[in-house]
Amino acid sequence: MESGLSNLLSVSIDFGTSHLLFPTIIHWIMAGLFLVILVTKVVPFLAAVKRGERTLPIVGEPMDAYRFFGTLVLIVAYFYLMDVVGNLFPYTGYGFLFVSMPFVLIMSLMYMHEWTKKAVIIAVINAIVAPGLAWFILAKLFTITLP
Amino acid sequence: MEFLSLLDVTFFLLAGFGALIGIIFGAIPGMTATMAVAVCLPLTYALGLHHGLALLLGLYVGGISGGMVPAVLLNIPGTPSSITTTFDGYPMARKGEGEKALRVCVIASVIGGLISAAVLFLFAPMLADFSIKFSYVEKFLIILLALSVIASLSSSMLVGIFSGVIGIWLSLIGDYSISDGGNGKTRLMADFMEPYLFEGFSLLPVLIGIFGISTILLEAEKGVKSELSHERVKFGKGSGFSLGLFKGRLTNLVRSSFIGTFVGMLPGVGGSAASVLAYTQEKNLARDSSQMGKGAPQGLIASESANNALTGGALIPLLSLGIPGDSTTAVLIGAFTLQGIQVGPLFIPENANTWYIMMTALVFANVVMFFLMFFAIKHIAKVVMVPKHILYPIIVMMCVVGAYAINYGIMFDVWTLLIFGILGYLIQKVGLEVAPLIIGFILGSQAEVYFVKSLESFGTLSIFFTKSPIAVVLWLLILASVAFSIAMSLKNRKRDREEQIG
Repeated sequence: MESGLSNLLSVSIDFGTSHLLFPTIIHWIMAGLFLVILVTKVVPFLAAVKRGERTLPIVGEPMDAYRFFGTLVLIVAYFYLMDVVGNLFPYTGYGFLFVSMPFVLIMSLMYMHEWTKKAVIIAVINAIVAPGLAWFILAKLFTITLP
Repeated sequence: MEFLSLLDVTFFLLAGFGALIGIIFGAIPGMTATMAVAVCLPLTYALGLHHGLALLLGLYVGGISGGMVPAVLLNIPGTPSSITTTFDGYPMARKGEGEKALRVCVIASVIGGLISAAVLFLFAPMLADFSIKFSYVEKFLIILLALSVIASLSSSMLVGIFSGVIGIWLSLIGDYSISDGGNGKTRLMADFMEPYLFEGFSLLPVLIGIFGISTILLEAEKGVKSELSHERVKFGKGSGFSLGLFKGRLTNLVRSSFIGTFVGMLPGVGGSAASVLAYTQEKNLARDSSQMGKGAPQGLIASESANNALTGGALIPLLSLGIPGDSTTAVLIGAFTLQGIQVGPLFIPENANTWYIMMTALVFANVVMFFLMFFAIKHIAKVVMVPKHILYPIIVMMCVVGAYAINYGIMFDVWTLLIFGILGYLIQKVGLEVAPLIIGFILGSQAEVYFVKSLESFGTLSIFFTKSPIAVVLWLLILASVAFSIAMSLKNRKRDREEQIG
């Protein structure tokens, strides 16, 4: 009996495939938990949605689509252009500096609710000073690598 | 006392500067201590280890404390841990006692912070000394215990465990590192990803993405509205504060500080748990709790001393076991790695000077926080008025610097920010939990090494139960945390049913 149990618990690991052992276990645990959550949480939740008691996350909630998707597009453009411009001037951090300025300005203007003259001027000054200061302190004084 | 020669003016200036920036971050609703540490990381790249630590610990202490400002003045918790401060702080501010309330909070905070620093100083070396003898088996069980504690304290244990497992899964992407004794082969990815992900996702870009970018996305979705609604910040004339307010409150103060420290030690449990627990304990145990929730200083004392006591508590498992106690210390672990320091049982014995320097920075940051907040609170409170449309672009910009510079200029790390920013947004939207996921991500690859190596050397699963008495104790603790969670959920279900009937 005892030898049967220890046989059951004994494991031999082939070094060549040892990188897959733990991920496989994690996959099984994940799949098991997902099923349990599906049955105990998701199905009752969807039923409540159907009855109109709850709303689906993201799609069913009110959302400021302009600012949300605007943010996503802006961040993607920011990261992409920073790399492109940075490659034109390698090891200077200019990619960061020159792309951050318009990014900060556009994001400020996008998030601003009331466009007053004063608020816009502050946003413009901020868009020039903040990236400039960050670039100067980090890239010049501290010689940190920037795009 | 050799470490005293390592302290210089810059060290204290950085700790003080960190505390100030931390307070500002904490005071702005929606920004947390974690974000402060993540955003300011690039500044530490150029600093040496000790100066970097001074800045980071200052940020940590300041960030946790700053949350009291909007909690009292605007009824918005600046950080999640100051939620209970709003219960009594805002009613006091409405009565024109805003400054008095803040000063009570500041004193409670500094005492909570110092008590927890003392506990850290005494307890962490002991725990490290004890855990130094752990083999891979016990180390694996410690991680299992950490994850089960996190899960059992999540709002739903199932969701907590699931989030943690997703974190582990994410950490396994990449190679099974040869330096850890693996075979160097990659898994969980397609061939074309290999140039970018051979070593998996870098820790810090993941953390900065989850705490920085996803916060911005969540705010953008809500339209980046100003929460101030033209309401004047109420300070009241004259502070009306006196130390007499603390008379008879010593038990509360000390109890709440210990509760905060203890909750801080539990991995992955956010600050809100500490202050809520301390607040409810005060409510249950105080002789007169009738005024609580209507503007009683005792509520502020409980809440703020507990949430500042988190700082020392959360550092205990980080420094002695290498397991982060909360999300801010999770970012700190990344910052340590960057400075070439491996936190774990050997950290304190092998880096005694660094350890004393950390304690100095922690205590000093608490003192600076106290003076800044106590005497300059009126001016600091104005930062809650800084418009978000100015702040958010700067935060994204600093996130980029932090991610890009971490491995000396890898653009993929910047894209990691976006990937995990979106992932963090989705996770919070569908109701999964961020803290267990992060802890799973940090501990996942170590858990793998400990697990596989234990099996390779012993060849049987039974070793996890029979290796040593410590292993048995750890299993009992794991079972206890699961039992606790089941008991709590049964209790909640019973209460819900009673409420439905009644």
